[in-house]
Amino acid sequence: MENMVNYDPSFAEEVFRDVDAGDEIKMCMNCGVCAGSCPLREHMDYPPRQIFGLIRAGKREEVLSSKAIMLCTSCYTCVVKCPRNIPVMDVMHGLAHYALKQGYVPRKDTASFGKEFWKQVYRLGRIDEKDLPRRVFFSGGLVEGIKAMLNFMDIGLRLMLHHRMKLLPERKIKGVKSLQKMLDKAEGLGKGGAAA
Amino acid sequence: MKYFLYWGCSLEGTGANFLVSLKPVCEALGMEFEEIEDWNCCGASVSYAGANDLAIKVLNARNLAIAEGAAGHDIVAPCSSCYVQMIKVNHEIQEDPELLRQVNECLAEGGLSYGGGIKVRHIQDVLYNDVGVDKIKARVTKPLNGLKVAGYVGCQSVRPFGEYDSVNKPVVQDRLLEALGAEAVPFPRKIRCCGSGIFLPEIDYCMGLVKDILEDALNHGAQLISTVCPMCAMNLEMYQGRINEAYGTEFDLPVVYLSQLMAVAFGMDLKKDAALNYNVIPPEGILKAAVG
Repeated sequence: MENMVNYDPSFAEEVFRDVDAGDEIKMCMNCGVCAGSCPLREHMDYPPRQIFGLIRAGKREEVLSSKAIMLCTSCYTCVVKCPRNIPVMDVMHGLAHYALKQGYVPRKDTASFGKEFWKQVYRLGRIDEKDLPRRVFFSGGLVEGIKAMLNFMDIGLRLMLHHRMKLLPERKIKGVKSLQKMLDKAEGLGKGGAAA
Repeated sequence: MKYFLYWGCSLEGTGANFLVSLKPVCEALGMEFEEIEDWNCCGASVSYAGANDLAIKVLNARNLAIAEGAAGHDIVAPCSSCYVQMIKVNHEIQEDPELLRQVNECLAEGGLSYGGGIKVRHIQDVLYNDVGVDKIKARVTKPLNGLKVAGYVGCQSVRPFGEYDSVNKPVVQDRLLEALGAEAVPFPRKIRCCGSGIFLPEIDYCMGLVKDILEDALNHGAQLISTVCPMCAMNLEMYQGRINEAYGTEFDLPVVYLSQLMAVAFGMDLKKDAALNYNVIPPEGILKAAVG
């Protein structure tokens, strides 16, 4: 027994059980095509192939705090390239969702962008393209918010001058209450893990 | 040819030139559109930060259920994110009876149910397969006379299923551009991602992606880029100034929607129908010179 590497399977089991699409990684043969095809791989600490390896090795902390799991552009390249038909993108989204639920913040700005995005979908049933960046910018506090607003003002103004910014606030869809009931039910029924 | 047009949130705002130009073009080709009553957002790419996978599926299933309960036409999505979200959920529901049961359990909270009977399609699919290149050619009154266009397909409009075009070597947009009289330049980065929905929060990383795409288009002789996705259009057009500052480049390359080019080639009004005044990098000069 002396020469055995002690892999702790408990984290892998947790991922298979609680993470959306988590059980798909059982099929991974670590070929690395996902990493090779990913547009943002050079900015990742661990490309998807290594994330899957770390899960098998029980490295919970490294995986859930890895920025790679939130750097997915959702381009589906890994999904169409994977020779084992693993929906790699879905696994990364599932891991990012789970990490946030567990109190990790793999990427600060993308996390607040995504959370505000969903809040708006839930609240209105639609996205308000003016209101969303404003909420994201100010989610880190007033000073940061003003800085970010000023930084992107030129883009916003140009869009507005070219009729590409709705001037009126987005209204709620008529069925927003019933939509919320459906989504609440799904939140309870689906995977994704309870908050830590 | 009746369809539900599910245009989504962006086409009312940052992608308005897509919707404004699409409507007269499709009408001229004999397509009729209905709106999905009280439709909701598709959740796009980043909703996973706040919602689990089932909630995102139910979000899309609501639109599918409303469409099925109404006339049951095919749903056409011009926005590639709306398209991929909806077609993915639809496939998963159709293939997995247990998932369909779960989704319906949630939909029932709002008095809806979905049987899996709707077809979701991208606008390029419908233009290419239902309308057809010949009919489009026949409608062209002002051919684009060999204008060199880089047809930027992006990612989500053909992936992951390859329903109507190759996921690795798509050709449909090029064939449509050629029907308008344009020359579709070969362009290897036509399917490399622009950063899509996370461009804004990850701008430092994603600018490099757009820089490579623009460079590739120019290196292959493109005079402008066409696209069928509001995220692609936004990221490729609006950030060229930022990219020039960051990389010392001199990009000033117009980015237009395929439907805008169709409106121009159909001899329609350049503002009212082609919405060329919606573009921040003006494409009028190049297009007027091309059509003569």
